[in-house]
Amino acid sequence: MAREFQRGHKARISDLTAGTDLYVGVQISGPGLSFDISCFGLDAGERLSDDRYFIFYNQPKSPEESIQLLGAQAGDTESFRVTLDRIPQQIRKLSFTATLDGAGQMSQVGPGYIRIVAGGEEVARYPFSGSEFSTERAVMLGDFYFKDVWRFAAVGQGFDGGLDALLRNFGGEVAEEEPAAPQQQPQPGGAAPGFAPPAQAAAPPAFGTPAGGPAPAPAQAPVPAPAPQPAAQGFAPPPGATPPPAPTPPAPPVHSAPTIVAPMNTPPGGFPVPPPAPAPAPYGQPVQQPPYGQPAPPPPGYGQPQAPQAPAPPPGYGQPTPPPGYGQQPPAGQVPHQQAPYGAPQGVPQGAPQGTGVLGALQQFKETPTGQRWTQQNKKLVRADLGIGGQAVLARQGSMVLYQGKVDFSYKGAGFSGRVVGNATGQEMQLMRCTGQGQVFFAENSTMLHPIELQGDAVCVSAENVLAFDETLQHEVRRIEGHGIPGGALFTMQFQGTGTIVVKTHGTPVVLPVTPTTFADCNAVVAWSAASQVVVSSQVRMRRNSYPGDTGESVNLQFRGAPGNFIVVQPYEI
Amino acid sequence: MNQPLAGYAPAPVTARMENHGNHMLKVAMQTGNDLLARVGSMVAYEGFVQYEPNPPAVRQIAKDWLTGEGAPLMKCSGDGLLYLADYGANVVVINLGGEGISVNATNLLAFDAHLTWGVERVKGLAKFAGQGLWNTRISGQGWVALTSRGKPIVVDCGGGDDETYVDPDALVAWSPNLKVKGKRSFRAQSLIGRGSGEAYQMAFSGQGIVVVQPSEDSTDRLRVRG
Repeated sequence: MAREFQRGHKARISDLTAGTDLYVGVQISGPGLSFDISCFGLDAGERLSDDRYFIFYNQPKSPEESIQLLGAQAGDTESFRVTLDRIPQQIRKLSFTATLDGAGQMSQVGPGYIRIVAGGEEVARYPFSGSEFSTERAVMLGDFYFKDVWRFAAVGQGFDGGLDALLRNFGGEVAEEEPAAPQQQPQPGGAAPGFAPPAQAAAPPAFGTPAGGPAPAPAQAPVPAPAPQPAAQGFAPPPGATPPPAPTPPAPPVHSAPTIVAPMNTPPGGFPVPPPAPAPAPYGQPVQQPPYGQPAPPPPGYGQPQAPQAPAPPPGYGQPTPPPGYGQQPPAGQVPHQQAPYGAPQGVPQGAPQGTGVLGALQQFKETPTGQRWTQQNKKLVRADLGIGGQAVLARQGSMVLYQGKVDFSYKGAGFSGRVVGNATGQEMQLMRCTGQGQVFFAENSTMLHPIELQGDAVCVSAENVLAFDETLQHEVRRIEGHGIPGGALFTMQFQGTGTIVVKTHGTPVVLPVTPTTFADCNAVVAWSAASQVVVSSQVRMRRNSYPGDTGESVNLQFRGAPGNFIVVQPYEI
Repeated sequence: MNQPLAGYAPAPVTARMENHGNHMLKVAMQTGNDLLARVGSMVAYEGFVQYEPNPPAVRQIAKDWLTGEGAPLMKCSGDGLLYLADYGANVVVINLGGEGISVNATNLLAFDAHLTWGVERVKGLAKFAGQGLWNTRISGQGWVALTSRGKPIVVDCGGGDDETYVDPDALVAWSPNLKVKGKRSFRAQSLIGRGSGEAYQMAFSGQGIVVVQPSEDSTDRLRVRG
């Protein structure tokens, strides 16, 4: 269910996948060409301010390993592992680039792609081909960038210079460069990124020699000798100088292109808006928040006497002088400065700065507003807005945790339920029908929820894993019978039509393509594409005596189907 | 050998209460600033911390909690770092800053002992005999830690007459100034002979927020499992 991106498209990562541990694969190839694929970790000013975040073959991971180069695998020329929630605050954008190593130009490139895989499932893919480019020698394929949340943008911008020119564009330094070499100044917040000239801007630079070992460190980067200067000036005019006449007007800023997913509430001003959170203060400096254990003047910090509020002050509480912070006297036998004491402030607060008060503390859990019918609130909560579309939602009974507005819940009649009821198993699937105007939040038992949007296609879901779905979907119940299935049969629901189903899984599921040898435990399988055929197979080798009471009989479902079919399996056997 | 685990070392203390990961609470203890925590929630401590289950002051305030068998709270005092957790539930840390919050008894993990608090019974809602919905109202200047099964959500009630309906099993906390009442939303005939769908809800109206967990598991694990 990968979403196809086109040049300039953007989406929130959270709309693509709930995960933050992402695999980014780049496939690019051309006859006789070789490529360097690298990732630039840029700051809010789109500068490579820390060259440890230039991830390439000589530096395969960032210091805290939030970005790792994995090498060629699974059909990808190069791949990265990106752990979004571990990327430090100062890195606000990851730019994935491919540069030609050796002779050639980008127009010779065959069809390629950059894709994002999360939890074993490809969630986004931006395909490109050489026909989109001309004489460039580098291409910026896609960006992860942080604007309120992490987002992905399919960029597809050609770039005339090679890797070192790209590096210079991002503010990195290349050795042997004259001090007067033009460097792009950080754009003031609000300006569209001014780099990336249009494809046809300049003549191909004369970088004939392979770039050898381009590196961010100013120490060891050999620069190709022949005339890098003109090329460099072509895309990075010195600030204040008149722009060279040759380049055509800058390309439309990709980041102001319309988003294809949800309305993003884009603040006017464009891309490199720093996150609203105040920048973390330098390490060790006192921050806004009064450090615990120290007398903090204006807000009544903890540890100050607050006698009026304490109903029955425990002895010792309410002393006229605040008690010294625990451990501020260094513990006996320890050298001060070696291990910081408990109460002393030692750094800035981790994560989002927390405001005081109930609202401030709970800010991160606020409801996400969007105008869609189904909104995933977080991994385990889904909101349905019944006002949009006006149709009823069928949901498993008891799955509503909260609703606002005028919503009517009624028992879904036995006409449907009677067919669902597994008389043999005694497991009924009871549904309720939610109608009216308002928002309903669904969740169940902290299971992970996955809204699946069907557009005419069909999917089979194990009846136990259905949480809610649009009433507009056609659904029918199927029975898979087989010797050894607990209760005699497995009930699945087949959904078809246009609408959304919310499927729940215990834990992060795996999505497998259907191959000639795809088997799944009938208790763990969650869903599969309806075009694949299910065969019940019992394992031949049974270990009947593994332990008393266990028949050792394991029933697997085998799936057969054309390529393109998939099955979803959860790490939990009901 | 310790390489993969090194990332889980405690972060430097910056506040009285902090999250260590999503599921653990770290409290910087200090003599004179006692803490009330759920009995059985301590998973580790460093330093000199003493525990007194069901202290007299708590017994007085929580005298009618549950069936009167004593409040499931312990007083922790001393100097050190205290780690609390509730069977893997998410922990939410709140610095009250003078405001107040009503917390479902099951979802309360710890709070500063000097805060003003009291146990009250939610009116108009009797889930089962002997087990109404009890909640603790806490206010003042200090810190409170709640638990939630799964990442919670905070919903603004909006202020007007519109009511927000919450499944009592999924409810974690709410603003104390909200009006609360019980509601049964299924029609009577649909209840007869059926399971308990969304039979009862709590309706909130007024100005404030409601915190809800994505699970209807309201089992008090600390109590059930000891």
